[in-house]
Amino acid sequence: MSLPDQASVTAQLAAFTADLAQAGSLRDAQAVRDRFLGRKNSVVASWMAMIGGAPPADKKAIGQRANELKQAIEALWSEYQARAEQNSRPAGAIDVTLPGRVPPLGRRHPLTLVRDRMEAIFTRMGFAIVEGPEVEDEWHCFDALNMPAEHPARDMQDTLYLAAPVVGESGRPDDTRTMLRTHTSSIQVRYMQAHEPPIRIVAPGRVYRRDDLDLTHTPMFSQMEGLAVGEGISLADLKGTLTAFAREMFSPSARVRFRPSFFPYTEPSAEIDISCWQCDGGGCPMCKRTGWIEIGGCGMVHPAVFEAVGYDPERYTGFAFGIGIERVTILRHRVQDIRLFFENDLRFLEQFPY
Amino acid sequence: MRLLVSWVRDFVAVTASPEEIAERLGLRGFEVASIEPAPDGVLPPWQQAAAGADAVIDFEVTANRPDCLSVIGFARELSTLYDVPLHAWPMPAGTAAAAAAPDSSLPVVDVRLDDPERCPRYAAAMASVTPTTSPRWMTARLEAAGVRPISPVVDITNYVLLELGHPMHAFDFSRLGGGQLRIRRATAGEAITTLDGVTRTLDPEMLVIADAGQAQAVAGVMGGGRSEVSSTTQVVAFESAYFQPSSVRRTSKRLQLKTEASARFERGTDVNAPVVAINRALALMEAIGAGRRGAVIDRYPVPRGPLAMTLRRARIGLILGLTVPDAEVERILRRLGLTVAAAADGWLVEVPTFRVDLLREIDLIEEVGRHYGFEKLEPSFPAMTLAAAAADVRIPRDRAIRTTLAAAGLTEAVTFGFIEGATARQFVTDADASQIVAIANPLTALFDVLRPSLVPGLLDALAHNRRHGRRDVALFEIGARFGAAAGERRGVGIAWTGAIAPHWSGSGRDVDFFDLKGVIERLCDVLHVPVQWHPTTAPYLTPGQSAAVFCGPSAIGVAGLVLPKIVDGRGAPKQDKVYVAELDLESLAAAQLANPAGESVQPLPRFPSSVRDLSFVVAERLSAESIRGTIQAAAAAAPAPLVSMVFFDRYKGKGVADDSVSLSVRLTFQAPGRTLTDVEAQQSFDMIVAALVREHGALQR
Ligand SMILES: [Zn+2]
Repeated sequence: MSLPDQASVTAQLAAFTADLAQAGSLRDAQAVRDRFLGRKNSVVASWMAMIGGAPPADKKAIGQRANELKQAIEALWSEYQARAEQNSRPAGAIDVTLPGRVPPLGRRHPLTLVRDRMEAIFTRMGFAIVEGPEVEDEWHCFDALNMPAEHPARDMQDTLYLAAPVVGESGRPDDTRTMLRTHTSSIQVRYMQAHEPPIRIVAPGRVYRRDDLDLTHTPMFSQMEGLAVGEGISLADLKGTLTAFAREMFSPSARVRFRPSFFPYTEPSAEIDISCWQCDGGGCPMCKRTGWIEIGGCGMVHPAVFEAVGYDPERYTGFAFGIGIERVTILRHRVQDIRLFFENDLRFLEQFPY
Repeated sequence: MRLLVSWVRDFVAVTASPEEIAERLGLRGFEVASIEPAPDGVLPPWQQAAAGADAVIDFEVTANRPDCLSVIGFARELSTLYDVPLHAWPMPAGTAAAAAAPDSSLPVVDVRLDDPERCPRYAAAMASVTPTTSPRWMTARLEAAGVRPISPVVDITNYVLLELGHPMHAFDFSRLGGGQLRIRRATAGEAITTLDGVTRTLDPEMLVIADAGQAQAVAGVMGGGRSEVSSTTQVVAFESAYFQPSSVRRTSKRLQLKTEASARFERGTDVNAPVVAINRALALMEAIGAGRRGAVIDRYPVPRGPLAMTLRRARIGLILGLTVPDAEVERILRRLGLTVAAAADGWLVEVPTFRVDLLREIDLIEEVGRHYGFEKLEPSFPAMTLAAAAADVRIPRDRAIRTTLAAAGLTEAVTFGFIEGATARQFVTDADASQIVAIANPLTALFDVLRPSLVPGLLDALAHNRRHGRRDVALFEIGARFGAAAGERRGVGIAWTGAIAPHWSGSGRDVDFFDLKGVIERLCDVLHVPVQWHPTTAPYLTPGQSAAVFCGPSAIGVAGLVLPKIVDGRGAPKQDKVYVAELDLESLAAAQLANPAGESVQPLPRFPSSVRDLSFVVAERLSAESIRGTIQAAAAAAPAPLVSMVFFDRYKGKGVADDSVSLSVRLTFQAPGRTLTDVEAQQSFDMIVAALVREHGALQR
């Protein structure tokens, strides 16, 4: 390789200028600069490196040429930078990377989110959403639901009673409330009293039990109970309805299993098991290796309930189901402790979408 | 019910593994709590070789199936499940196999049934006692079932209880005054010391088993200590009765005494079991050499037979949505112990008295479905014959409130409907204290009244967040509040403290009353309810910093700054400025009906408006409300209609006297059908200024 001379300096400067003009971004330009001026493997660095191996007479000249090139490129570079700076920041430019003024955003409670989602699913299946009072009378909560006065479910341990009756929403003197509802089935009774079949409703709401507050129990929780009454409604229809719900709520491949059980107001009665959506029924810690997860109870409305509300049990049949909203939320969002729902810790609540 | 698998094999030849039995019965209505290895020595001599693996399966038995609180009950279920016959009489001795003639030398107890309503059947038997010990198979089976062996006589009654599900009791005959067992009501104040050593006072609603003098047992609940069988007992009188379930339940509840016996009697035992059970006990006595049988006495004034009912073929298909073959229907019901005969469109079924849960056709359909298998149900969907009804009006309203408040930065809380009475009283006036609704049977004093307001629960939630390091907390809740006269009313509550989020463009500031008021005004705007604000007082709010929210003439809510002592009492730092509000949603709903949201839109104004800014100085104590009123009244008489008035500045300080304030208002005039002239606008403006000067001594700036 020939030693650098004045012509080499001119050629290199021309090359630098041309390359820099080609650079599409500040990053590319930086690379061009480094190729000429960098500490290693650059043009200037290679000229410097030649000094050591050059004949003693040439050493000084090479040093001078290298220095000349270095200064010229540095001058061109700082000129380029200034230009680039000016081009990139127009007058009145703002720093768009600073935080914006975000309007404050709260969250809806996870139990509301899940309840809304369940309501949406059942609404599409033709169920109307119905609400009702939390303080109830024993007739609507027990008697009409085939739980006569001696029924064990009416024992004081399960139900919270009022020390003195409270006036009902009708305001009539005979409409007094004596207890906190233990399930939202009382809403269904009120609805049946006011409407003729066919009916198809879901009744969400808070319910109360005489229970301690711990990891898995709470004296207040929320339920969604469903009811369909008409001609020819069967247990198979209930299975189909709950399967459609489970597929939308939990997993498109969900299956429903009915485990026979007992509730006074349904006959036959069953526990509702959904195939575990984590393992698709294969068995995993979430389903305690059973492949199934229980989400509530259901059954065919007991004829005694129809008789209580004045429906003809020979003409009409119907199904009912009850699903715990806390239970669904715990399962869907892996909540470890039911108390989190009622502590209202923002660190918990803010983990849920708006 | 802890079921020892080898015990049930006395009745059914089922060789399946305990795990399989547990799983299959789990799908027939008996949830499995646990499976444990069987203890040593449970195999009796008549089961020479084990008929399959053994274990103790703990089944949960639902309240409708008292018949399954027994080995025989599960034997019937397994007989149906595996389609195998049920051995009629259990080993080792059956109920009559020993066939020894009754020992005629034994005395005969004098049974007097005074109350056949509460005790429809009472059987008793005498037996002599030979000192011995219970055999290992018996004690091991009892232990497996969770019962402690005591003595042969007691062990035998427990054995029969577990095997047949029928509770028995044994009296030391020598302790029965007059050799008598009298079934009567207790006398008022009558006392008995029960087997647990507790002396209990009885009332005349309770049934007792007495001797000639005093109560010796609380019928169906627990025996008395005086006639308890002991190591010196020579003659026992066995009792095997049927007590009315409701009578036992009332007594057990009133005495707060629950026993294995009372649990079974109150759910319903088999009225035809007492003599079977007592014969089984006597046969076991003789089989294990524990004594000899005497006479059996049976008082059963009105014998009851099976319950007959019709089961219609079509009804099974209608309820289940599944066709069950006739042969399966008959097989299932027969294996369960029912009698089945063909009838016109189905079957005539006789239900024996041990199935207290089968009362009508629907119960039989459940049994058919349960054992045919719910897994055979093909999911279908109920046909819709009517369009779905609209949701309850509260649903969309509450949704709108939630999205509005969350979009304003408040997070939804859910708190309990009950609170502590002492807390509740801090949130109502003294006059309203009597309106607080108390709970009759609270589990804890922390939850002993229904909340009169959402505010205390929200303050607790706010305090929880403050204790966990959160400075800025903004919460709301929609929920029911309760009052004795007002009943249940739904409300929305807000609790808010801390700062408006700081931003680099300007320093943050603390939340104040007008942030709270703004959110409520926004909410009322969304709900289309016009509201006015007036100063008010409340027991938990700071005087001078709290307002009542009115809609027309009625107060629908309150908003303000919480008193420091209340903040402190709820567990948040005392120096926190906490703002709360609560609106009654029932009142809002009524107001909404009175002010329906714009159904038809107005045409856009075709003529320009005229805007004038007005600045003036008035006394500081004058409320914005009264100035607004003066301006509106003056504008009403002016030629140019005033369509909007916005307070855009309020200034105190240099150039304004100490007790005065400078206010700036933007007035917009517009007429619907014409362009206003400058003269009209100016005239109107001047009239407003004149009114402010006249009414309030205002000084225009
Ligand atoms: Zn799983």
